[in-house]
Amino acid sequence: MEVTQDLSFVHLIGNASVLVQLVMGLLLFVSLMSWWYIFLKMFAIRDEVRLTEEFEDAFWHNQNLNELYRYANSSSLRNQGAMERIFAAGFVEFVKLKKQNGVDASAVMEGTRRAMRATYQREMDRLESHLAFLASVGSVSPYVGLFGTVWGIMNAFRGLANVGQATLAHVAPGIAEALVATAMGLFAAIPAVVAYNRYAHEINRLSTRFDSFTEEFSNVLQRQP
Amino acid sequence: MSATAFYEPYKLPAGILALVVHSVFFALLYFGFNWNRQPFSNPAMTVELWSSLPEDAVRLPATPKIEVAVPPPPQEKIAKPDIVMPEKKKPAAKPVETKPEKTKPVQKAVEAVKPRPDAKTPAAQSAEARIANQQAAQHQAAQARQDELDAANGRVVDEFRAKINAKIRRNVVNPPGVDKDARAEFMVTLLPGGAVLKADLVKSSGNAAYDDAVERAILKSDPLPVPQDALLFNRFRQLDLVFKPEQPAE
Repeated sequence: MEVTQDLSFVHLIGNASVLVQLVMGLLLFVSLMSWWYIFLKMFAIRDEVRLTEEFEDAFWHNQNLNELYRYANSSSLRNQGAMERIFAAGFVEFVKLKKQNGVDASAVMEGTRRAMRATYQREMDRLESHLAFLASVGSVSPYVGLFGTVWGIMNAFRGLANVGQATLAHVAPGIAEALVATAMGLFAAIPAVVAYNRYAHEINRLSTRFDSFTEEFSNVLQRQP
Repeated sequence: MSATAFYEPYKLPAGILALVVHSVFFALLYFGFNWNRQPFSNPAMTVELWSSLPEDAVRLPATPKIEVAVPPPPQEKIAKPDIVMPEKKKPAAKPVETKPEKTKPVQKAVEAVKPRPDAKTPAAQSAEARIANQQAAQHQAAQARQDELDAANGRVVDEFRAKINAKIRRNVVNPPGVDKDARAEFMVTLLPGGAVLKADLVKSSGNAAYDDAVERAILKSDPLPVPQDALLFNRFRQLDLVFKPEQPAE
């Protein structure tokens, strides 16, 4: 094994064995993806919270449901929050069922709730998308990095076997370049775990708000003549 | 509204931000701290205070000056008084050698003035004495050369002993609570090339931890610096080394 004095970052990666380099490349890709999703979810959840607050405000201050429905439908896709969609789905279903004669009140309410439930689940699915990826990155990438490190250290010691007088200088560069893989795994994992926990918490809060809104809106609809 | 294709307006900015985060991180790694190890000077080189050995070993036998009126002071330090003695005699022998030469012209002048038959004998005697003196001087010069060689060898031996001591002492890790005047005496058996065959404790310092530390240091110092010369090495086969904590041994 060649003993080099140069331990620069680029040198360490360049000198690593092919498998370790592959692991590093994979981790870099995973890290890029996870940061992309982190920013994506950050913007999406921030918008969702803002739109939810806006709609709740409009809902409780404006008791005219027709006007509210027009308002919800008129806003562009970007400015349409999950709660607006739940409201629109429920309201449309309610109006449709009311127009049909011979449907009793409880059946109307049940249909309305089903429609809202379906939209709610679709919206939750949209909000929770990519979160599973962040969770996987957070739990798996340290192990991938560790695998690269173990492999690199194995190689370093195999090289050491051919040297009669073993000194620290023989192993140190190999171990250093192997440890870069662990560093990269941790670099990918830590933000992913933090982001996952934070986003899961925020989505949970949003989901509670949607649930309560569904119940309250059902009550409002039941009072409708 | 279709459920499968989500409307995600932030794909591009999020991607750019992810790239920015990574490039910032790698820039920090690359420029943030010095990855190159400083080539530090070898501590063994800085501690070594002994003059270079080969110079002396080569120079001393090469200068067999006859009139060594001033024996080099290291020779006195080398404890070999019985061999140094003839060396001191030598300056005295030189005047003896020069005297007949000075007296000879006088005798020749006497011979020229008075060609006496019995005058031949002192002349022959003086010639014989001169030859004898010359032989003695030559012998003494050879002796002196040999002495100097021995002295040089002695110095080499001392130098190597000092080097061995220095090397071992560097490796001694003093255990806590060792007396300043603890003395551990070891008999070290060496193989040619300086490999340590064994290190026997001859006289314990009274502190087992210090004895162990010294023994470990001796084994750790393998190979010890020894002369390449096989004759000189014979004086290193068995080394009696004395170690004291904190102070130069011997």
